[in-house]
Amino acid sequence: MSDPVTIIMIEDDEGHARLIERNIRRSGVNNEIIPFTNGTEAVNYLFGKDGSAVERKNQALLILLDLNLPDMTGIDILKRVKENKHLKSTPVVVLTTTDDSQEIKRCYELGCNVYITKPVNYESFANAIRQLGLFFSVIQVPPASL
Amino acid sequence: MTAVSRRRSTLQILLLSAGFFVLVAVSVASVLLVNKAREDNTWVVHTVETESEVANLLVDIRRAESATRAYLLTAAPQYLSEYESAAARIPAALNHLQMMTADNPAQVANTAKLKSAVEQRLAEFALTIERVKNNDVAASVDILRKGTSTDALEAIAGIGRDMRTEEDRLLATRTATADKTQVLASSVTIAGSCMVLALAALSLVLLRQSSRARDEAEARLRDSNVNLETIVDERTADLREANEEIQRFAYIVSHDLRSPLVNIMGFTSELEELRGDIFKRIATLNRTASLAPAMPEDATDVAEPELEGSDKQLSDDFNESLGFIKSSIAKMDRLISAILNLTREGRREFKPERIDLRELIGGIVKTVAHQAAEADATIEVGTLPKIVSDRLALEQIFSNLIDNALKYLKNGVPGEISIGGRTKLGFAIFEVTDNGRGIDPKDHQRIFDLFRRAGTQDKPGQGIGLAHVRALVRRLGGTMSVASELQKGSTFTITLPINWSGKNREKAS
Repeated sequence: MSDPVTIIMIEDDEGHARLIERNIRRSGVNNEIIPFTNGTEAVNYLFGKDGSAVERKNQALLILLDLNLPDMTGIDILKRVKENKHLKSTPVVVLTTTDDSQEIKRCYELGCNVYITKPVNYESFANAIRQLGLFFSVIQVPPASL
Repeated sequence: MTAVSRRRSTLQILLLSAGFFVLVAVSVASVLLVNKAREDNTWVVHTVETESEVANLLVDIRRAESATRAYLLTAAPQYLSEYESAAARIPAALNHLQMMTADNPAQVANTAKLKSAVEQRLAEFALTIERVKNNDVAASVDILRKGTSTDALEAIAGIGRDMRTEEDRLLATRTATADKTQVLASSVTIAGSCMVLALAALSLVLLRQSSRARDEAEARLRDSNVNLETIVDERTADLREANEEIQRFAYIVSHDLRSPLVNIMGFTSELEELRGDIFKRIATLNRTASLAPAMPEDATDVAEPELEGSDKQLSDDFNESLGFIKSSIAKMDRLISAILNLTREGRREFKPERIDLRELIGGIVKTVAHQAAEADATIEVGTLPKIVSDRLALEQIFSNLIDNALKYLKNGVPGEISIGGRTKLGFAIFEVTDNGRGIDPKDHQRIFDLFRRAGTQDKPGQGIGLAHVRALVRRLGGTMSVASELQKGSTFTITLPINWSGKNREKAS
C-alpha cells in the first residue's frame, strides 16, 4: 500500500487550471490537487523555507508544470526539481501552449517525463489529460525508492 | 555653389572666345598692314625710279647736245652716231617717264612741258646736224653764238629740276607713310600679343581657382560619403533591431493569444457537454410530464432523447452558435500557428552551402508525384544553376511554389508545370511556370501579403505560402515577382545571389 499521489499543479491561468482539473477528475483520478498560480509560491511549497525540499522527502508527488509563469519560467522550476536529491524522481508533466521543438527538446533534456502541448483542439487536449490520469493510476511511487 | 561654378565656366568660355577673337583680329590686322607696307614701299621705289629716269633723260639730252656740238665742230662721224643713239633713246625715255608719272597730275603737266621742250630741242639738234651735212656750219655756229640754245636747255633743266623736286617731295611723304604703316603694324602686333598674354594669365588664374574649388568639392564629397556610410550603417542596425523587435513581438503575441484561446475552446466544449445534459434533462422532463413510459435515469448517456417543437429549435440554435464559435476558434488557432511558424522561421539561422538546385527540385517533384498524378499534371525541370544558399529555405520556397502550381490548375486541363533557371550578373534567376488559372494583375501584390488570397476560394489554404516564400527569398538576399493573367497561367520569378554569404541584402550591397 503506497501513499496516494498528490498532484502539484503550477498553472497561472485559472481557466487552464480548471480545465485540467475537470479532465483529470473526469478520467477518474481523485487524488488531491494542490494548485499554484505563480512560480514563487510553488517553489516555496516544493523546496520549503531552506530550499532543500527536505519537507517533501519521501512524499509521493506529481508536478503539472506550465512553462509560462508570471514570475519565472517553468524551465527553472523543472531544473531545480530535477537537481534536487529529494525531488528528482518526482514525475514532471510539462503543459504548455508552445510546440516549439527546441523547447520540447530542452524540457526532455532537463528530465521532464511528459510534455503536453495545450492544443486548442479540445478533444485531443481532454484525451491527453485523460491519458495522464491513466498514467497517474498506473504509476506508483514507492516511497522506499528514494 | 552651382551658380558660382556656372558663372566661372561661362567666364572661362568668354575669356577663351575673347582670346581667340583678339588673335584673329591681330592676324588680320598684321596681314593688312604688311600688305599696306609693301604697297607703300613699292610707291617709294617707284618715286626713286622716276627720279633716276628724269636724271637719265637729262643726261641723254646733254649727251645729244654735246654730240651735236662736237659734230658741228669736227664733222667727225663717231659724233654723229653718238648723237643718233642718244636721240633715239630720248623719245623712248620720255614715253616711259610719261607712263610712270601718269598717277600724278602735276608731274603729267611737267612731263608734257618737258616733252615739248625736249622735242623742240631735238628738232633744233636735227636741224644743226642737217646743216652740218649740207656744209652750212656757219649758220649753225651763228645760231650757237646767238645763244638761243642756252635758254631751251635752261628750260629743260628747270623742268627737270621741278620734276625731281616733286618726286623728292613724294619720296618724303611716301617714306613717312611707309614708316607709319610699319610702326602701326608692329604696335598692333605688340598690343595683340599683350592682350593674348593677359587673357591667358587671367584664364590661368580662373583655372587655378576652379581646380581649387573642385578639390574642395571632392573633399566635401568624400566627407559626406563617409558620413552617408555611417548613416546607412546606423539605419541598417536600427532596421535590423526593429525587425527583431517585430519578430519577438509577433512571437510573444501569438504565444499569449493562444492561452485565452485554449480557455475559450475548453469551456466551449464544456458548454457543449452541459448542453447535452440540459437538453437530455429537458427531454426527460417533457416525457415524464406527458406520462411517457418511464426510462431509467442512466439511459440519458446512451442516446439523445428526442426533442420536439420549440425545444428542438432551441437545441439547433444552440448547436449552430457552438459550431460557429468552434470553427472560428479553429481558424484563429491556425492563424496564430502560422504567425508562430513564420516568426520561428524568421529566427532560424541560415547556413549557406553549395546546392545543386536540379537535385533539390527533383526531390520536391518526387514528393509531390502523387498529387501531380491526381491533378493530371506533368512537372518538367530544366537546367538549373548551382548556387550557394540555405538548403531548407530553398526547399520551402520551391515546394511552396510547386504546391501552389499544382493546387491552382485549371479544371479539366492537363497541368504543365516547368521550372527553369539561368544566371545573370552574379544572380541566379529561377522561373516556375504553370498553365493554371492565373492571377488577376490587380491581385499580384496582394497574394504576397500574409493571410491574403486571390481568385476563387475553392481550395483550402491560409494565405501564408507566398508571404513565407517572399520573406525567405528576401532573407536570402533575393527578390521575387509574378507575371500572370487570369486563365493564362502564372510565372513566378525568383532572383537569388549565386554566392550568398549569409548576410542579408542591405549588408551585402
